[in-house]
Amino acid sequence: MNRMLSLESIRHCLEGLVPSGVATCGLDGMPNVTLVSQAMYMDPYHIALSFQFFNKTRENILANPIASVLMMDPDTAARYRLTVHYLRTETSGPLFEKMRAKLAGIASHEGMEGVFVLRGADVYRVLNIEHLPGRELPSTQYGPPILPNLRRCVDAINRYCSLEHLVDSLLDSLDRYFDIRHSMLLMLDRAGNRLYTLASRGYSHSGIGAEIPLGTGVVGVAAREQVPIRIMFAASEYEYSRTVREQAIKDGLVCELEAAIPMPGLPSPGSQMAVPLMCNGKLMAVLYVESPQPCQFGYDMEDALVTLCAKVGEAMGLLQLQTQGGQNMEASPAKPCPQPGSGPALKVRYFARDHSLFMDEEYLIKGVAGAILWHLLNVHQHKGRCDFSNRELRLDADLPLPDISDNLDARLLLLSRRLQERSEHIQIEKSGRGKFRLLVKRPLTLSQSD
Amino acid sequence: MPPQPSVQTLDPAMVAFITSHLSIHMAAANDQLQVTLVRGIGCRVSDNRDRITVLAPRSQSEPLVRAIGRNNSVAAVFNQPETHRTVQFKGTDARIEPATEQDKASLPAYLQGFSERLKIYGVKEIYIHTLCACEPDDMLAVSFAPMSIYQQSPGAEAGRRLPPGAPLP
Repeated sequence: MNRMLSLESIRHCLEGLVPSGVATCGLDGMPNVTLVSQAMYMDPYHIALSFQFFNKTRENILANPIASVLMMDPDTAARYRLTVHYLRTETSGPLFEKMRAKLAGIASHEGMEGVFVLRGADVYRVLNIEHLPGRELPSTQYGPPILPNLRRCVDAINRYCSLEHLVDSLLDSLDRYFDIRHSMLLMLDRAGNRLYTLASRGYSHSGIGAEIPLGTGVVGVAAREQVPIRIMFAASEYEYSRTVREQAIKDGLVCELEAAIPMPGLPSPGSQMAVPLMCNGKLMAVLYVESPQPCQFGYDMEDALVTLCAKVGEAMGLLQLQTQGGQNMEASPAKPCPQPGSGPALKVRYFARDHSLFMDEEYLIKGVAGAILWHLLNVHQHKGRCDFSNRELRLDADLPLPDISDNLDARLLLLSRRLQERSEHIQIEKSGRGKFRLLVKRPLTLSQSD
Repeated sequence: MPPQPSVQTLDPAMVAFITSHLSIHMAAANDQLQVTLVRGIGCRVSDNRDRITVLAPRSQSEPLVRAIGRNNSVAAVFNQPETHRTVQFKGTDARIEPATEQDKASLPAYLQGFSERLKIYGVKEIYIHTLCACEPDDMLAVSFAPMSIYQQSPGAEAGRRLPPGAPLP
């Protein structure tokens, strides 16, 4: 391979913006040539081509694995001819899903939804790259420089002192340094097989608490496959919308999904990307970014966000260890609870079957966060306490919820933000590491139903 | 019984289609079954409709020229970008010819026509004029009698061989 020309340096030709030509040859020596909807960069030595139809190309590569791919630079019109060697076809898993999502965008862009259906991702090793002679345009790709801005994001995130600060720093940095105006962070609910929105930027409603099942939409697929998913054009199949969630519920993909809090999101994003946040090989959360414009997030931006999310994922894991590490105080009030104000009692109603909680008949939250708040309000009402520790919650047998220790900080943050949005009379605020205070500003009437 | 290879007289609609400034790719393979391809920059069909000639820049076609010089086999695919209608032709008597003055003079019309087709995708005219640019002295012609034709539009029918003289699929 030409030492001066790496596959990595021309990977923007593999975004599916200009269809590539693919030539193969049968054992009878007869060539075959066709266009391929999608050629995708995998790593410096491999590309994947979309396998959509059983045809002569398929027959030929199974008999003679050497093929030639002609791809064009979508910016400069430079032409590159690749000699490639077919290795295998993947019909499920991360590569397949990555390609399937991307193809859905291409199909939608080209009016071929329902026709462009991925059967497999054909993996090829690149043996040679030939830069063909001919006229070329000057490059016009002048986005914000990725590396210095990535550095600025990392600098901002490094100053985190809590999960709340970490999550806010991440989304604010994306806006400030990468001009990404629409973003959200969704935490994994491992037991519930779903993700819930913890923070968002750029939407008319925050959608904090809104849920999406694993495997649904760009976010759900990125989480299930633990792989970044990036789509360059509007793709209705992957729109992160209420419709997708409702369909998933209808299909029985997940039950008891939070349905009362609408999902934030652009109605028809032109570009989308979802990046998993991992810690020690375990999924923690998913970062989702989108833009109304197509072609906003390329390979370089994907690299930047994957790097950033690796950092944030580790920080999340560290915070979790710290709050589980027994350095928290035992439950004892640090200072007297403020007296609830006067006025009519706030009616709080709790339904044990789904842990949903209503305040003055207005829905607040359900699930783990609902059960936690109900517990806190009861302790406050009957024992007069307002200071709590994460540790006591984790150890409390009255909270019969699975997997609670896994992401308690995130649950409390979700609860705190949901209260900020929906209730003037009950608030949760952090009072120290692993400690928090429940502020109740009106008398309470608590009632429980099945 | 599969149709036997025979020289075909192309349906007039097929001729009109492949000469309507489409996206063209042409491929050939050497004796070691290593295949190569190049982008075409124009097409003409003989008056009796039994021979296709595809134009290409010689400077980008060296492996293709060598392969055709050895075995005379060629494949050419024509794609209408805005409809995805695609047809492939194969021949076994391909020969490299110098481009005629008419071929050279046909390039501006090809660039203009192909650019028009891609406007719906937001592709700028200058992009196509650059992608398909060719100095007159650099142009070559690959001429062949179509021995087989394949419907290649995306879908379940992709790859289906068409009968001789078949209308445009």
